Amino acid sequence: MKKLKKALLKLCLIFVLLNVGLFVIFFFDLDGKLLFNVVEPFLKKHYDNMERKDTLQEPYDLDKFPKYKYD
Amino acid sequence: MAKKNPIKAVKDFWCGKPHTAEEGGRRLGDLYEDKTGLLKHREWRGVKDTFYYMYNIWGYNYVHMVLDILKFSNNPIDFFKGTWRYRWMGQTYLPVIHWFERGLQGMRGEALAASAWHYRAMVSASIHQICNFFNADTRLHGGKENDAYKHTIYANETTCGTLFYPWKDAGYQYLPMEMIPYFVTCHVNSHTVLNYIDAVQSIGLPGDPCPMCQAESGLFVLDDVPDSAPIIITCNEACDASVSTHTLQDWFANKPLFALPIPMQFDDPLVKKYCMNEIEEMWKFIEEQTGVPFSWESMKKYLERQNKLQRDEWEKWDVASKTDYYPINGVAQALFRIYSTQYGVQTSCWEEASEKVKKIMYKCVEKKINPFPQTRHRVIAWSCAPLYFSNWCTWAYNCWGLNTIINMDSLMFDMEIRTDSYENMLEDMATYHMWAPMRRMAVGGMHHIFELWDYMKRFNCDMVAMYDQLQCKGMQGVHGLFEDEFRKRNINAFWIPHALPDCRTVSRAEIRRQINDYMTTVMHEEPLDPSLLDFDDSMTW
Amino acid sequence: MLLDRKQYLGGYLLKDLKHLIYFENLLQEANNELVKQGKADGKRAIGYTCYFMPEVLLDLPGCFSVRLRAPGCTSPDIATYYLSGRVCHYARSLLERALEGGYNFLDAQMGTETCTATCRFQEHIQQKHLDSVEDMRIIDNDDFFCTFTDIPFKNTKNSYDHFETQLRAHVLEPLHEHFGIDVSDEAILKAIEEHNEVCRLINEIGEYRKLDNPTITGYEFHVIQLVSLCCPKYLILPYLRETAEEMKTREPNLKKEFRCKVVLAGSENDDPDFTKLVEGCGALVVCDRFCYGAVESRIPIELEEGKSPLRCIAEHYLKTSNCPRFMPQDEMRARKKRLADLAKEYHADGIIVASNKFCEYWSYERVIDTFILKRDYGIPVCSIEKEYINSASGQLRTRFQAFVESIEIKQIQEGN
Repeated sequence: MKKLKKALLKLCLIFVLLNVGLFVIFFFDLDGKLLFNVVEPFLKKHYDNMERKDTLQEPYDLDKFPKYKYD
Repeated sequence: MAKKNPIKAVKDFWCGKPHTAEEGGRRLGDLYEDKTGLLKHREWRGVKDTFYYMYNIWGYNYVHMVLDILKFSNNPIDFFKGTWRYRWMGQTYLPVIHWFERGLQGMRGEALAASAWHYRAMVSASIHQICNFFNADTRLHGGKENDAYKHTIYANETTCGTLFYPWKDAGYQYLPMEMIPYFVTCHVNSHTVLNYIDAVQSIGLPGDPCPMCQAESGLFVLDDVPDSAPIIITCNEACDASVSTHTLQDWFANKPLFALPIPMQFDDPLVKKYCMNEIEEMWKFIEEQTGVPFSWESMKKYLERQNKLQRDEWEKWDVASKTDYYPINGVAQALFRIYSTQYGVQTSCWEEASEKVKKIMYKCVEKKINPFPQTRHRVIAWSCAPLYFSNWCTWAYNCWGLNTIINMDSLMFDMEIRTDSYENMLEDMATYHMWAPMRRMAVGGMHHIFELWDYMKRFNCDMVAMYDQLQCKGMQGVHGLFEDEFRKRNINAFWIPHALPDCRTVSRAEIRRQINDYMTTVMHEEPLDPSLLDFDDSMTW
Repeated sequence: MLLDRKQYLGGYLLKDLKHLIYFENLLQEANNELVKQGKADGKRAIGYTCYFMPEVLLDLPGCFSVRLRAPGCTSPDIATYYLSGRVCHYARSLLERALEGGYNFLDAQMGTETCTATCRFQEHIQQKHLDSVEDMRIIDNDDFFCTFTDIPFKNTKNSYDHFETQLRAHVLEPLHEHFGIDVSDEAILKAIEEHNEVCRLINEIGEYRKLDNPTITGYEFHVIQLVSLCCPKYLILPYLRETAEEMKTREPNLKKEFRCKVVLAGSENDDPDFTKLVEGCGALVVCDRFCYGAVESRIPIELEEGKSPLRCIAEHYLKTSNCPRFMPQDEMRARKKRLADLAKEYHADGIIVASNKFCEYWSYERVIDTFILKRDYGIPVCSIEKEYINSASGQLRTRFQAFVESIEIKQIQEGN
């Protein structure tokens, strides 16, 4: 019984701590700050340095596709 | 230093601070960090609303963003691969909750709850599209054209999803090519789109064409459009630049492309037959390319769902126009309507959100709850809105009590499509497509753009927020006439200059300054929340 | 500074064309001497702006077409208030000229929504059509009316059917109802006959641009083409006939007075001084593939058996247009080749693609032309943005001179 009580208390404590933690993140916009100051600059750097296809080299064939006419 | 009143402090804690400066005020502008627009801390809205926001909006949406990925994605790993591959995805998807924050700032009670449901639906539909992109993208599957790829039809984002219902039950997915990579990103994170605008200008396009079209082309220049479909449908919605955008898109995509032109002079009854034929030709193209015939049953089924959604919207508009009990704020109302009509009932999220919102709305009506009690002016917003500052209406309500009741984009597609026969359906479909956003009003004759006066009356508005998209030739071309008419009719109207997605042309601070100037010098009014008059959010999402 | 007329054309260069100065004078204003004469003859003046409005239908017996221009309009201030400073200068200049009373001679305007800016101009002059906006009564002419024709975006049967219906409903019927114009097949055939004679003469004159040492400059041809668009056909025809005759014996310069030949392509251009500017830099304009140019507008209309004259006209104007407004994939791609073919046909060394500022169609088309024509067809391209009236001639001259030099260097490298 005591064990169960203790476990329940522990569970309650975890629940409370989790909610407090979440509240801190929520209230102080920590998710926004993390994304703005860390995640976005990191991703931006990644995208800026990514190797991309030179789209201007894409062929421009005249006869590759038929005329889509349905008269 | 003024002594704190403990009773007021307890009341502020329990209910949240009152809105107006005279009553102590919220001073929402003080919550911002300089430049970034991040919050020093979130607003304390009182116990009930703060925790409602934390659990039912902030937490709920974070969780459901993950659940939606699991629900719509064939393989969640693809989602991460796509995030790593596409700039519009990685930079945009993560700050979604901040997008909520900007739109819902200062909202309380029913306004907070109902507006958030509209946001939730938009996010869910966006994830639906994102997952469909990545399920089919050959780039994420080692160049393999998988089954999802073969069952996807690309269309320009202004080609309404309604047209593709006939193949939906056969497992074909319509994907508006630019809606997520361009349109949605602008609302959520305005940084991303600048890369695409710069990219297309780097190959020689001048800076003056519509920046939406520039961005749509720039996506292709930077090779940032997933390769998720074997065919493309384009249309001439809404303007000259849209038509031209397809020349670049065709080159870079290099896939079978069918052009669906919609007549410009759509009020002319003689154009309908032409338009109906064009739509049927597009259906023939899809039949030819997919090998799957047009399904009337599928068409009818989804159109009926769409019609129901339209009737829901009319119910909402009815309450908005005749009472003070409409609980949706300006930005949530406008975006929900644009997103849902353009994408169509490809998912059930619109209907689900609509039901929830209606419930809240009728509660307001029954209990006579005014969700926007500080409304000083009922505003109609006209023309196309700044995508990077679509939440200006939230700011305008908090700062000045300007409550945006309805906007022009919401009023597009304002019709049901008959499903009693194929012929009637096709006839309505032609009209429907001609009434797409930025088509019915911005081009095709002046008649519809000046319907503003009728809508002002219908929605009981006393002020006009006139969007001034600096690079929209159609709207620029009626600028002087509007000025003349506003004067002649003695209508209170302020202009909101902007460049659609490009926040570098007219900053958010400049937009706010223009409204502030109008409210002080013309209307001689005092702000409800002076802290919002001027602040620097130049680097914000 | 521009070369003066004598330095450039007269005296020691090609002998002046007999009617060139007269033609130039006709281009000084929309309501020119021949337009006035046409009106005095009891004919109705019908304005239009776009190629897609078939001029031949506006030249039916009893009326004549005037393709609108606004020469010399450098500061369209009032029009800028109405249209803002962010739409093309051409549309603003037209509205300004209309506000000044410069188009009061017009009895009708046949509008098209083929580009947004000119559409807005035409909507401003459209009278008493909306309760929601006060009528500005810009065109001070009690008879004046303006109608709009919906123009398709494709070359398909559906498009031809639609265009034919539109032309009947929005051009022929209003002309008949308002002015009693005969719109019978016979009358249309007569108009086609006259139109085709103009085309034949312009093409005959234009053919001399294909010579190794052309006996006509791009400027001269531009002037001749423009008068054929802006004056009553029956009044300009005698002058064109005479000019075509004169061309037969016109001697070329002993020495080539140009450094290279170019095709001038792009958006609206009714300013011969722009062509003169190009030629002043050493690039002879041998082909004019721009709005108001002759490449498309002077292709004779062919009649086909079993088809009404109106049907033939509807098909002709859609089939011959190279406007970047056409949307189908095959047509988007084919028009680059057509431009390359023109360069070949006219023995041009390069192509100048010029788009008017704020012209969205040509801003995009110019980008793709610049890459594709060079990459796939090996044709040097000079890509520029211009105003309706060119105030920035110094900058443009520098661009053109550099282009001419680059062509010359290319020719040296290729050993020509």
